[in-house]
Amino acid sequence: MILRLAIASLLARALTVGMTVLAIALSVALFLGVEKVRTGAKASFANTISGTDLIVGARSGSVQLLLYSVFRIGNATNNITWDSYQDIAAQPQVDWIVPISLGDSHRQFRVMGTSPEFFARYKYRQGRSLAMTDGVVMADLFDAVIGADVATTLGYSVGDPIVVAHGLASFTEHKDQPFRISGILEKTGTPVDRTVIVSLEAIEAIHVDWQSGAQIPGQSTPVDVIRQMDLEPKAVTAALIGVKSPLQTFALQRAINEYPEEPLLAVLPGVALQELWAIVGVAETALLGVSAMVVVTALIGMMATIFSSLNERRREMAIFRAMGARPLIIVGLLVLEAMLTAAIGAVLGLSLLYLALFIAQPIVDSAFGLWLPIEAPSLRKLWVLVGVIAAGAIVSFVPALRAYRISLADGMLVRT
Amino acid sequence: MRTSLSLVLAALAIPAAAQESRQLDAHEHGVGELNIAFEGNIMAMELHVPGADIVGFEHAATSAEDRTAIENAVATLARPLELFVLPEGAECTVTQASAELESEESHDQHEEHEEHDDHDDHADDDGHEDHAEEHHEDEAGHTEFHAEYTLTCAHPGAITGFKFAYFDVFQNARELEVQIVSTSGARAFEVERDAPTLDLRGMF
Repeated sequence: MILRLAIASLLARALTVGMTVLAIALSVALFLGVEKVRTGAKASFANTISGTDLIVGARSGSVQLLLYSVFRIGNATNNITWDSYQDIAAQPQVDWIVPISLGDSHRQFRVMGTSPEFFARYKYRQGRSLAMTDGVVMADLFDAVIGADVATTLGYSVGDPIVVAHGLASFTEHKDQPFRISGILEKTGTPVDRTVIVSLEAIEAIHVDWQSGAQIPGQSTPVDVIRQMDLEPKAVTAALIGVKSPLQTFALQRAINEYPEEPLLAVLPGVALQELWAIVGVAETALLGVSAMVVVTALIGMMATIFSSLNERRREMAIFRAMGARPLIIVGLLVLEAMLTAAIGAVLGLSLLYLALFIAQPIVDSAFGLWLPIEAPSLRKLWVLVGVIAAGAIVSFVPALRAYRISLADGMLVRT
Repeated sequence: MRTSLSLVLAALAIPAAAQESRQLDAHEHGVGELNIAFEGNIMAMELHVPGADIVGFEHAATSAEDRTAIENAVATLARPLELFVLPEGAECTVTQASAELESEESHDQHEEHEEHDDHDDHADDDGHEDHAEEHHEDEAGHTEFHAEYTLTCAHPGAITGFKFAYFDVFQNARELEVQIVSTSGARAFEVERDAPTLDLRGMF
């Protein structure tokens, strides 16, 4: 009975109520959106590296090393010498080791030099392995494997020639040594999608005729000669390591961190990520706080509209009272109306979020490499919605109490 | 490689080595590091704590008092289950424990410990005693206590957390930075004096 009354009353004031609903919906969508991006970013980072026990690079910071070597974000770390790399590879605790060499690019995409073992050892999203959609792992010196985004953005397919350039935004291109695409990787949702992978030797090969970043004029070594050359790399950027047993992780980490010949750093990827979250946590909380305040603002807006509606509805209330409704019924009616408004707003907000997700998902993925999965709302989100509805009820109590106090006579008196 | 690394480390110990290498570890008073690794029934722990946290001083032990303090500390550190209390249900027993005082410039013992990594023979741990002696002849630099433990737990699944009696025993210790690795990955925790427990539910 009272519910029907509340619905009818809301419908009668469809425009004002609609505006309030819209304000609440937008604020809820913003709040949930921020939460989504926050958890999505975390999951995306956490899913990028899995199964690697240690990342080794030049001594810098653990976060910097992790970001640069795995996510290709931030400042480059120093390279480590090939001698040190081999020393580490020979440590008894090392089960497998995969080198990573960064610094060259193809169009806007990074080129990474590594060993073929990378394809077997690199794991993402709780232990999933890389797989090819087309072609095979590089077999020849000038073979390249490209990530899914590289293939779609540049329209490449297996067999196409590509040119690898110095630096990221490059003026000079290594035109003399065209690479051939030997394989295209499946979409992973990790930075691998935006990477051109070649062998370590290939990285050396493209720098044969180059000295301090520029080609020596009039000199160009034919490809055949390069193939004959000793292309052992002199340096790598970082290395991914798997240990034989977790029990040996710390011993190996300590041995690397105290390696006397070269300042090296070994980080546990999970711990480095946690450090990163600790750093961005403050900004995250601030963002969440701001969006929560927007929800509060929308709810206070609703309170204001209820207050102003009380004036219009003086007659209505008085008639209810005259017909025998107790003041408590009036309070109940107002609170119920507010809860309905908040509930519709919350549900609409959730739908808005999903709509936005559907539209923004591919854009966010290609622009920021952030994959936001579209999935059923989590329990936490549902609690947020319940919270909004409850807050709506609480907020409406203030005007409802006022309506409770206004006497029957107040509405009946004809005022000029 | 093992031989070549130990050679290098041996060379380091000689001050006049041709290739000089100067590097020091991080050292923050009040803050120790505890690394824990799990695999199957075996749990390996290593503890690095500034001398100031444990005995309250880091100068060379000159007086008899200082020496007793260090000896007591080393003895206490060699009983891990009294410092890091595990749930009874896990039925953990110490299979190997060693503790020593280490000065900043002597890192030449790491190879020693690796010998203990094969968990079949833990018979002889006395070898560490003389190490502790060696490093007492210290200059003004920082010192660090260093302990390694290997535990065997009948029911590792029952390890839901740790209680750090450590903070009651060592009054100068403020914080332990705990890193845990297991087959399911690595996590880091900060355990402080105010809340001396570690909740590991969901880790396994």
